Amino acid sequence: MIRPLAKSLARWLFAGLTLAAGQARAETPPAPARWVTDSAAFLSEGARQEFDLRLETYERQRGHQVLVWISRTAGVVPLEDFTVRSFAAWKVGRKGLDDGLVLFVFADDRKLRVEVGYGLEGQVPDAIASRIIQETIVPRIQTGDRDGAIRSGIAELIAAIEGRGAAPERVALPPPTRSPREESARPLSLGQMVVLGFAVIAFLILFATNPALAVYLLMRALSGGRGGGRGGGSYSGGDGRSGGGGASGSW
Amino acid sequence: MKEWGVGCGVIVIVLLGFGLAVASGYNSLVGLDQAVQAQWGQVENVYQRRADLVPNLVETVKGAAAFEKDTFTAVTEARSRVGQMGASGPSVPSDPAAFAKFQQAQDGLSSALSRLMVVVEKYPDLKATANFRDLQAQLEGTENRVSVERMRFNETAQAFNTKRQSFPTILIAGFFGDRFKEKVYFKAQAGAETAPKVKF
Repeated sequence: MIRPLAKSLARWLFAGLTLAAGQARAETPPAPARWVTDSAAFLSEGARQEFDLRLETYERQRGHQVLVWISRTAGVVPLEDFTVRSFAAWKVGRKGLDDGLVLFVFADDRKLRVEVGYGLEGQVPDAIASRIIQETIVPRIQTGDRDGAIRSGIAELIAAIEGRGAAPERVALPPPTRSPREESARPLSLGQMVVLGFAVIAFLILFATNPALAVYLLMRALSGGRGGGRGGGSYSGGDGRSGGGGASGSW
Repeated sequence: MKEWGVGCGVIVIVLLGFGLAVASGYNSLVGLDQAVQAQWGQVENVYQRRADLVPNLVETVKGAAAFEKDTFTAVTEARSRVGQMGASGPSVPSDPAAFAKFQQAQDGLSSALSRLMVVVEKYPDLKATANFRDLQAQLEGTENRVSVERMRFNETAQAFNTKRQSFPTILIAGFFGDRFKEKVYFKAQAGAETAPKVKF
C-alpha cells in the first residue's frame, strides 16, 4: 500500500534539504512571451488563444498577472523548486504588489501546481488553490477534457482573486506572509557623494556657459526614468515575487 | 618648503582614499546585514505560520483518531518547544549556538508532524473531510514556504559572508568586532533524505 502523505512530507523535507544546501540551482526556462504557453500540445490551439486573450485582458483591466505554463516535465528537481525559481526568474506580478499567479502543468509528469505571489496569498490561500486543483481541474483532465479543465481552472482562480470564489467554511487561514523588501534607498556612500558633488558643480559650470544645452540635458536625464511602458501584445514580468505559496496536485 | 607641501598633499590624498574605502566597505556590509535580517524575519514568519496551524490540525485529527495518543503528545511537545524559544531576535543568524537550537526545535516539529501525517493514513474517513484536506493543503504549502525562505536565507547569508571575508572588507569587519559576525547557514536535517519509515 502506498502512503502518499508520508511520501509527500518526505518530499518536502527532501526539498528543504536540497534547497538549504543551495545546490538545486536548476535551470529556469526563459520568461514566456505570452500569458499562456503550451509546449506540450496539451491544449487545442483555439483554446490556447482564447485563454491567452482572456488573461491579457484581465491584466489590462485589473493589473494582476495570471499566467498558464504547460510543458512536458519539470525535470529532475522537485516540482515546487522548479516553479518557485521560474516564478522568481520571470518576475510575475507587479513590483511591490507581488500580485502574480502561475498555473503550471507538467503533462508527462501528470502533475500541476498553482504558484501564488506574496501579494495574492490572502485571496488565494493554499486551501483554495488546492481545492481548485483537486475539485475543478484534475477531474476534468481525468475525463479527457483538458481545455475545459484549464478554462474552469482559470475562471475559478480569477474568481478567487476577485473575492468571488466559492470558499465555504474557511479554516483558520493564517495571514499572508508579506516579503519585507530590502529598502531601495540605501544611504549614499562617501564616494558616491563626491562623484555627485562633482557632477553638480560641472552642471552649474555648464549652465553658466551654455544654458540651452544644460536645460536640454536636464530634460533628457529626467525623462530617462520613464518611458518603459508596457508595449502591448506580449507578456513581460513586473518584478513580483512568490514565497512558495500555492498548492500542487497530480492526476 | 615646496617638498613639504607635496608631501602634505600626498598624505591627504592617501588618508582620503583610505576613508573612502572604509566608508564604502562599511556601508556595503550594513546593506547586506540588513538583507540577512529581513530574510531571517521571513524565516521566523513562515515557521510561526506553521506553529499556528498545529493546534487546529491536532484538534481535527484527534476527533477521528483519538487513540493515537503518543503521536499527538509528540506533536504538542515539539510545538511547545518551538514556542518556548520565544522571541529569538535578530542576533540568532550570527550566533551558532542559538541558531542550532532554533533549527533543532523546528526540525523536531517537522518530524513530529510528518509522523502525524503517516498515522492519519490509517483513517480514510478523516482524510476525506474537507476540513482535513484544507489543513493538509495549508501544511504542505507552509512546509514549502519554509524551504523557500530557508533557501533565500542561505543565499543572503552567503552574500554577506562572501563580502565579509573578501579583502579589504575583512579588515573593516575585524575592526568593528562583533558588529559584523559571520552568519550561520541552515543545514540539512539529519536523515531528512530518507522517507519516514512506515510500520504496518
